Amino acid sequence: MTTHKSEVLVIGGGIQGSSTAYHLAKRGVSVRVLEKDTVSRHASGVNAGGVRLLGRNLAEVELSKTAMERWQQLDDELDADTGFRARSLINIAADETDMETLRSREQQMHELGYFHEVMLDQHELRERLPHVAQHCIGGVVSEQDGYAIPFHSTQAFRIAAERIGAIFCEGEQVQSIRKVGDSWLVATETQKYQAEHLVNCAGAWADLISVMIGDNVPMSYSAPMLMITARMPHFATPVVGAVSRPLSFKQFENGTVLIGGGAKGFADRANNTTRLDYSLLASGAHHAIEFFPIMKTACINRMWSGLEAYMPDNLPVIGKSIRADKAYHAFAFSAHGFQLGPVIGEVLADLITEGESRFDLEPFRVNRYERKVL
Amino acid sequence: MINNIATPSFNNSYDIAIIGAGPAGMSAAITATKAGARVVVLDDKPRSGGQIYRNVDASPLAKPAVLGADYLKGSEITAAFKRCSAEHISSVNVWHAGDNGELLFSLEGETQRLTARQIIVATGAMERPFPIPGWHLPGVMSAGSAQVMLKSDGLVRDGAVFAGTGPLLYLIVAQYLRLGVKVKALVDTTPKQNYLSSMSEITGAMSAPGMLIKGLGLMNEIRKSDTKVYRFAEGLEVQGEDACKSLSFSISGSKHEIVTEHVFLHQGVIPNLNMTQALGLKHTWCEQQLCWTPETDNWGQSSQGVIAVAGDSSGIVGAESAAAMGRICALRQLVNIGLITEQQADHEAAADLRFMRKQQHFRRFIDRLYRPLDQHRKPTNDQTVVCRCEERTVKDLKQGFALGGREPNQLKSQTRCGMGPCQGRMCGHTVSELLAEWRNEPVADVGYYRLRSPMRLVTLQELSRFTNLTPVSTVDRASSGTSDSDVEANKEQELAQ
Ligand SMILES: Cc1cc2nc3c(=O)[nH]c(=O)nc-3n(C[C@H](O)[C@H](O)[C@H](O)COP(=O)(O)OP(=O)(O)OC[C@H]3O[C@@H](n4cnc5c(N)ncnc54)[C@H](O)[C@@H]3O)c2cc1C
Ligand SMILES: Cc1cc2nc3c(=O)[nH]c(=O)nc-3n(C[C@H](O)[C@H](O)[C@H](O)COP(=O)(O)OP(=O)(O)OC[C@H]3O[C@@H](n4cnc5c(N)ncnc54)[C@H](O)[C@@H]3O)c2cc1C
Repeated sequence: MTTHKSEVLVIGGGIQGSSTAYHLAKRGVSVRVLEKDTVSRHASGVNAGGVRLLGRNLAEVELSKTAMERWQQLDDELDADTGFRARSLINIAADETDMETLRSREQQMHELGYFHEVMLDQHELRERLPHVAQHCIGGVVSEQDGYAIPFHSTQAFRIAAERIGAIFCEGEQVQSIRKVGDSWLVATETQKYQAEHLVNCAGAWADLISVMIGDNVPMSYSAPMLMITARMPHFATPVVGAVSRPLSFKQFENGTVLIGGGAKGFADRANNTTRLDYSLLASGAHHAIEFFPIMKTACINRMWSGLEAYMPDNLPVIGKSIRADKAYHAFAFSAHGFQLGPVIGEVLADLITEGESRFDLEPFRVNRYERKVL
Repeated sequence: MINNIATPSFNNSYDIAIIGAGPAGMSAAITATKAGARVVVLDDKPRSGGQIYRNVDASPLAKPAVLGADYLKGSEITAAFKRCSAEHISSVNVWHAGDNGELLFSLEGETQRLTARQIIVATGAMERPFPIPGWHLPGVMSAGSAQVMLKSDGLVRDGAVFAGTGPLLYLIVAQYLRLGVKVKALVDTTPKQNYLSSMSEITGAMSAPGMLIKGLGLMNEIRKSDTKVYRFAEGLEVQGEDACKSLSFSISGSKHEIVTEHVFLHQGVIPNLNMTQALGLKHTWCEQQLCWTPETDNWGQSSQGVIAVAGDSSGIVGAESAAAMGRICALRQLVNIGLITEQQADHEAAADLRFMRKQQHFRRFIDRLYRPLDQHRKPTNDQTVVCRCEERTVKDLKQGFALGGREPNQLKSQTRCGMGPCQGRMCGHTVSELLAEWRNEPVADVGYYRLRSPMRLVTLQELSRFTNLTPVSTVDRASSGTSDSDVEANKEQELAQ
């Protein structure tokens, strides 16, 4: 049997793997992506499409800001239609406690020199969201934020990468990984692959790959749920979230409204399936109506969930393997990795071709829990 | 039968929940309750009967006899169903069924949830889509909807053209004619060669001579009327900009065009897949019926232990077999829950199993004879709409295919084809068959949409009001250990604060 060789092997054809392949191919590096199902079949193709900088954990702000700049030109860069729209994102404050939370966050951000989050009073909130319920008293907005169509965005990276020489192999599930000399030897059911560098972008299965490489992580996985309505008259331009309630929705140009909010169903990753928890979706529906009574009569057309990986601190793992040379991780984006896609590929390409990244990756170390555990 | 809605109480679940009150669902309920099972039947129509016996006990027509003897026969089974102890919850759409026995449906503006140990899906069939140029225009409907208008509201359309193939098409035309409604033309698309190829099955068909005679009778009835009949038509196209103006077609190369504002299309029925697909049951491509069907054994058991599929939703079998299958499924589930023994089931199912085997021969003949034309299933014209909800044409799909949408779900994500409120009911088969052709692979390898709940639109408000529902009935249980004494008083779980 022939062994397929490339300089880099990426495991996982989600947005992170596809973006990594794109950035590497652009630098003339030969790269192959192994995907067990089809590209963008999982989280990267079925997520809520939220392109959010607002409210990011401080450790992620720099990455997220850079990603946000990239999103504004991404269609031109990739020569594709990702469906990205900068519509702004508003988190609504339902009461004084929420406003207090927002004020202290504002102070913290200003001290660090970040000014992209701007507080809104009740009047300003209503101006931007005329249909918001009376009891909402303010909020915070980030103007550059918006949404994109996840499946199209991930495919855009894939197609752009393929155009410049990256190879994507679908239906290839990595079953074993060995290091022989300076080479990584990776086997799927029927094929063998060899590369100098190995990248783990395996999403909700990344801990399994991580273990094969030699790194143990306390990663978990779950199935955040979404629902989308049939078309309704236009009523909200910005993407909407809430400071302290599980509410999140956006109305697309075709009038459909995508409702999220973080409620999780049941995940069965061995079988690629999830089960929805309808009573939790019911409370999500309740929150949407509470904040936007106009949505009472909205008709839900589809409900679904995707498999997503989480770390205990809800921050991703990004960086070099601790146990092995020339292996890299990018996973466990904890339900907000879609927006980071454009920058993660760049970070990994830097680590591979330059040996380092211009971003501070310390908070994302794969072994950040090791000391804490013992 | 208990017609009102159960008062909700906790820790209680049904033995068997049946979705659909057509011949399959009703007979399953009758059989299951006889053995003492606690049964609930949910159906989205106000009255039991299903497609064939729709409104049989409350026809809006002065002389329902025009609908035929088969229709009138339905009053027997609906009466027996009403007498049995099953709870019948009517006018509810089951919009979610899970392999864990969970059912969700909307009732009076609220979401109700019930659980059952076993589920029988008996949701019936739908008409096969007829994707030809202009089929989406106002004025074009399916022949089945013409029948629904007739059975439910006594409404008819004068001067309409009926086009397509299949026994149901001729039945509906005959029903129209018996009411004295003028039918402008019947454009029959059954190809000449089907008559020849079906002959190899004719001996099998003779096993059900009654059915054969019935079919011939309908054709005679139509021929004797002054309805113009065009045979061996192909290349059907509905003409018109914003509404139907005419139907054009060709017969052995010569063109025809009939001016009309109403065209009723029909080319057979296929299982209604939304429920069985959303349940995640294994499906296979049935080459004989050119449709996906859930995999079942002789007892209707699906690939998921607690779920059986009966009647036309398991593959088109017709009303009598649907009823037989309902009984068979019920018997199997009664064994599963320990109310009867396997020997009892074998014994009681024997006649029905024999009947079904015999019917299969007749089915093969019918399926061969009325096999719809490739050109009327796999549209080639770039402008032909495939997905009506999202208005996606053949051209849009070809583009999506070129961009990597090689499989129905990828194509859906790429083009939105199948994302609308019908959940792909109207385009799913077309997409499977088109992709198979473009990939030059068998349909079986292409697959179908992965579906998700809700199977029908649910309003946000309905979803936000979430209640659990449990059995009201206490049933005599000679052989079972569970008692119903623990039926609790009202206990409602309101998620709304
Ligand atoms: C419902 C939902 C809503 C979300 N909403 C948002 C949002 O609005 N905004 C946002 O920024 N983020 C959101 N996210 C998070 C975001 O989707 C993810 O963080 C991101 O897509 C992760 O990308 P990935 O490439 O790491 O993972 P994935 O897309 O999961 O890709 C990993 C791939 O690896 C493959 N793989 C795994 N194991 C193997 C193996 N052994 N061999 C070969 N291939 C393998 C998998 O098949 C998979 O395709 C949401 C997530 C979900 C589930
Ligand atoms: C439009 C149409 C007209 C037909 N007319 C005739 C005819 O005149 N004569 C004839 O011999 N055959 C007719 N057939 C064929 C017919 O399907 C079978 O003969 C027979 O009715 C099959 O019985 P069944 O019990 O399998 O399904 P059905 O009789 O179709 O019963 C299924 C029932 O389930 C209900 N249902 C479906 N989904 C849900 C849901 N999610 N929630 C709640 N309820 C649900 C349906 O409304 C229906 O009442 C017709 C088929 C169609 C599609």
